[in-house]
Amino acid sequence: MNCRLPIALTLLLASVLAWAGEQAEFSVVTEAGNRLHISSDLSPLTINRIHSWQLRLTDADGAPVTGALFEVLGGMPEHDHGLPTRPEVTAELEPGVYLLQGVRFHMPGRWLFEFGMTLGEDIDGAAIEIEL
Amino acid sequence: MLIAAAVLVWLLAPPPLPERWTESETALISSLSLSALPPLPPDSSNSAADDERAAALGHRLFFDPRLSANGAVSCASCHRPELSFTDGLPIAVGTGPGRRHTPGLIGTAYSPWFYWDGRRDSQWAQALTPLETHFEQGAGRTAIVRLLASDPDYKTMYEEIFGSLPDPARLPESASPLGDEPGRRNWRMLDPDLRFKISSTFANAGKSLAAYQRKLLPGRSRFDDYADAAAIPQGDTHHRPGDTLSRDEIAGLDLFIGAAQCVNCHNGPLFTNHDFHNTGILPVLGQLPSVGRFDGVRLARDDPFNCLGEFSDAAPGQCAELRFARFDNELTGAHRTPGLRNVTLTAPYMHTGQMGTLAEVLQHYDEAPTSMLGHNEAKPLGLSSRQLRQLEAFLHSLEAAPAAAAEWLRPPQH
Repeated sequence: MNCRLPIALTLLLASVLAWAGEQAEFSVVTEAGNRLHISSDLSPLTINRIHSWQLRLTDADGAPVTGALFEVLGGMPEHDHGLPTRPEVTAELEPGVYLLQGVRFHMPGRWLFEFGMTLGEDIDGAAIEIEL
Repeated sequence: MLIAAAVLVWLLAPPPLPERWTESETALISSLSLSALPPLPPDSSNSAADDERAAALGHRLFFDPRLSANGAVSCASCHRPELSFTDGLPIAVGTGPGRRHTPGLIGTAYSPWFYWDGRRDSQWAQALTPLETHFEQGAGRTAIVRLLASDPDYKTMYEEIFGSLPDPARLPESASPLGDEPGRRNWRMLDPDLRFKISSTFANAGKSLAAYQRKLLPGRSRFDDYADAAAIPQGDTHHRPGDTLSRDEIAGLDLFIGAAQCVNCHNGPLFTNHDFHNTGILPVLGQLPSVGRFDGVRLARDDPFNCLGEFSDAAPGQCAELRFARFDNELTGAHRTPGLRNVTLTAPYMHTGQMGTLAEVLQHYDEAPTSMLGHNEAKPLGLSSRQLRQLEAFLHSLEAAPAAAAEWLRPPQH
């Protein structure tokens, strides 16, 4: 029988990685030392359902980081394919809280999400792994 | 002699079964059970989706060959109830030779995408397309509206649900934005308000056909009984007296969720992720390979009957699948994952019926050949012929009659 081994945090990326199980909330420190807190409106996370995430971006002191432009990429490295949808940040709901719409997973397994953020003249990045 | 006996024993002896399902395997098996299927979600783009009157109208339309240019082809000509709503042909034949293999309809109301390439984003938008496609039914837009307005039964049923029909006397016999040149010219000459009225009436015919098809839901199979029993913790073996699956079927299930990786795409209670994958399916001899979803997503966006269009009942915020649909080169050659319930009853297989048997399909996935277009997401499996047979045996355990009242599975009784 196949045993699913725990996911090792070995993926080398420029950004900081956070691991999440089927939980619908997770948090990661970004490359530039900000904190990105992610909460899904689908809880627990599951496959084959399109849904939205809220992205709360704060600085090291906990103050909201406003006006960030997000680029969201991802996929399943082990299957050599990207996300099944093209999620987009469509609104800043309140200062530092962004609405990411169009998230869907279509396979069980390990998913990688990468967030690229443009903060005025600066850029920032973060990544999370999700095991479904 | 001893060697021959040993070979015989090896060939005939039942294969070893896994000793028990792990917790994660049990969860995966449970996720495939029909017991995990949520209630049918509403279709926000179709306000008549769950209207019984619309289902009754759609039922009549589905079996009515008058919805075709030659008066001989109905939806049911290709989606035959006795074949799980497929036609048994490699490529569909409507009023002329088709382009694609006819997919089944049972449980498709759960899907956000329709056609092998996902060129439509709702069941009603899908239902409209063959009506205007010249090699499928090809009746044209005004012909459908004229039929609804001139048949007394249709007129009564329609107007109870959707309100007044246009006066058929004002409609040319043949006019459609997608028809032949005379039909397109007739369409352009119509008053814009009348064009809108015709198109919205036509859309309502599709919404009624969708309301009917939402009745075609999958029934419980032997696998579902097994999966639900497997979820109850007990004993140290998962092959218990009273199990509904044979040893080969259980071994096939083990492969399905494990070494064969089928569950990557054929997941959830309908055994499909409703998504699009390039699995290196070769084109029919003499044809170019299909670009699949690469074209499909563009066609869905351009479809006037899509979720964001003026004939949809949805607010834009309810059209997430269309708004956030992916559109890039990775989709080249990708086709929709079909569900597997009753797959053993719906040969041949693939988007142009390239494979006549499930054995051929399984052999294909075992080999995972290089794709002619794009890249094959699947990797070679290296399974034995016995394992391939076990997988096929498992697929037989998914056979079940639809969970639909008998009246929906035959033409309406007038």
